[in-house]
Amino acid sequence: MATDGLIKTGIKGLDSILLGGIPRTNVILVQGVTGSGKTVMGSEFIYRGAALYNEPGLIVVFETSPEKLIRDAAGFGWNLDELQQQKKLQIIFTSPEVLDQELRSPDSLLLETAKEIGAQRIFVDGIGLLNTNLVDSNSVHRTYRELLQQLIESLHRENLTAMFSLELGNAHDSIAAAAGSIDFLADTIIQLCRERHGRRMQRSLEILKSRGQDYEGGEHTLHVTGGLGLEVFRRVQAPLPAKSIQPTSSTMRSVIGVEAIDTLIGGGIFDGSTTMVVGVSGVGKTVLATQILREGSLKQKTRGLLISLDEHPAQIIRNAQTLGLKLEEQVADGTIQILFESPQELDIDAHYARIVQIIEERDIQRMVIDGMTSYSTAIGEVGVYRDFFHAMVAYSKQRLMTTFFNYENPEFLGISSYMPDFPLSSIVDNLILLSLVEINNSLHRCISVVKSRGSKHSFDTREFVIGQGGISLVPLQQNQVPGLPLQSYSSLLSRAPTRFSLPTRIENGATVEGKK
Amino acid sequence: MTSAREQLQPRANVIIEAEKPTELPLQKCLDGVGISLLSEWDVLIFVYRHGASLTTVDQIARLIGYPSGIVSDTLDRLEREELIERSRPSRGVRFYRILTSMDSRRWLYLRQLIRLSESRAGRLQLAERLKAPFSDSGRKKQAS
Repeated sequence: MATDGLIKTGIKGLDSILLGGIPRTNVILVQGVTGSGKTVMGSEFIYRGAALYNEPGLIVVFETSPEKLIRDAAGFGWNLDELQQQKKLQIIFTSPEVLDQELRSPDSLLLETAKEIGAQRIFVDGIGLLNTNLVDSNSVHRTYRELLQQLIESLHRENLTAMFSLELGNAHDSIAAAAGSIDFLADTIIQLCRERHGRRMQRSLEILKSRGQDYEGGEHTLHVTGGLGLEVFRRVQAPLPAKSIQPTSSTMRSVIGVEAIDTLIGGGIFDGSTTMVVGVSGVGKTVLATQILREGSLKQKTRGLLISLDEHPAQIIRNAQTLGLKLEEQVADGTIQILFESPQELDIDAHYARIVQIIEERDIQRMVIDGMTSYSTAIGEVGVYRDFFHAMVAYSKQRLMTTFFNYENPEFLGISSYMPDFPLSSIVDNLILLSLVEINNSLHRCISVVKSRGSKHSFDTREFVIGQGGISLVPLQQNQVPGLPLQSYSSLLSRAPTRFSLPTRIENGATVEGKK
Repeated sequence: MTSAREQLQPRANVIIEAEKPTELPLQKCLDGVGISLLSEWDVLIFVYRHGASLTTVDQIARLIGYPSGIVSDTLDRLEREELIERSRPSRGVRFYRILTSMDSRRWLYLRQLIRLSESRAGRLQLAERLKAPFSDSGRKKQAS
């Protein structure tokens, strides 16, 4: 559908879910329980129309005091008084009886006012109250459905795009029954919900129908923010818009920048590939992440994003500094962004939207999520957790962005599965294991590349150390284990390092394996 | 566009922007606005708070709890006093609005009274000072 036939709500995030807006003169019903944001949505629809699109509007209220409506709107930064003075808005306090009469009257004062200000939009707050007015001025009894039809007909005749609010839930029976009638008559139905999740309250929005257009279905997150108004966040698991073309896989390799690791992985990883780095706490996942982004910024000139739910940016920068990785320079010049959000009450749709916004605004080419375990705790629902990562992987691939997911495996010595939460390992392209191996009485850090799609990678488990400059592999020739190098052992990752009976010898720089 | 927060407190008119929060004697404000009955105040403040009310006399009377006759007479008087404006009638319905073109001095008095009435103590003070419409003096005024 051509977008010039659409009316924009101007509500942040909503028009994109409506794929541009709502067909002009559609009758829009906003329904929901008390406190779900219906009046705010109607007021914002009118306010944005007048302030952004030069489409004056009327707000008709039956029970809300206009004075309080103006006061509450001011809390969102909307100056309704000023718009009234500019004749771009008129708030009208009336009764359902009068509204009904007015919209059917040839010399209607309300329609006269609409004409005077050139109104193109109208919001009627509390349409369910019309259900109490079923006898007209000529004492003719009508059904609620007839009354609504008359009302809608009048608005259509005047070419006004109307938004009605309808309270669901605690309303009395007649209003609840009325919802059925208006559901059919309305062209667009937006359902607002206000539900408890654990001990917190969450608002959501769903387009139940919208005649004459396509839209993004499902339950999207709704925020009501002081000083701003409403903001709708597309649900993360919604498939990418069909118009977005999946780019063909790149044949370009993105060098991680840690030479030895690049060698292990077969000369770097493909641009736009996704890599999971699995390891226990303290093994060096965050150091590797920092190094990947810093090296990318310094040597590959790629812009990076580090996302953490665990560590504040200042702490990440400080820790990197202790290893001589001066991250603050890249953070200061904007080549590396650090996004930290508290895992407490994490709103995943809003979080995802924030990530996408940073990536698009900053043209991020390399991203690290550090780490996924905190998402599991913060989100709670496995389905939503899984959807978030599927969405992140799909989005990364669509942008050909090289992405690393750090996953903290709870198993300390040896692991029985890469990721016990759900099998994400199958959808990533590369899998790197960082392990702690106990030899004699000390722990050693090891790295193994388990999978690297399209690459001829090494299957050797190599010892690495963390020091100035970050992670570096221990040269094969160098004995870290007293007396024996790491390659003298088998079963390193299965909690049972076993020493070869004949020690491995190094001859002219090459390893000569012994026998068990 | 000016900030909504800046504009909110002195609502409705730019004249209020220059207003100083000086405390004027209550009687001076009432005289300045030109009201002496509590019913006048209640109807006037109803119209003020509702911005543009598209309604009937009966509905205003129901909402503020006065007999329709008193409300009707009061609206006539407030219009004569150039405190409110009414649209033409349409099947008993009219638009009622506060008259924004009143002079600045009168606005100042009105704002002061509105501010006073926003507290419970202020409301009681007003109710004490203004004549009840059902009192002898109130009836006389009402009849005039």
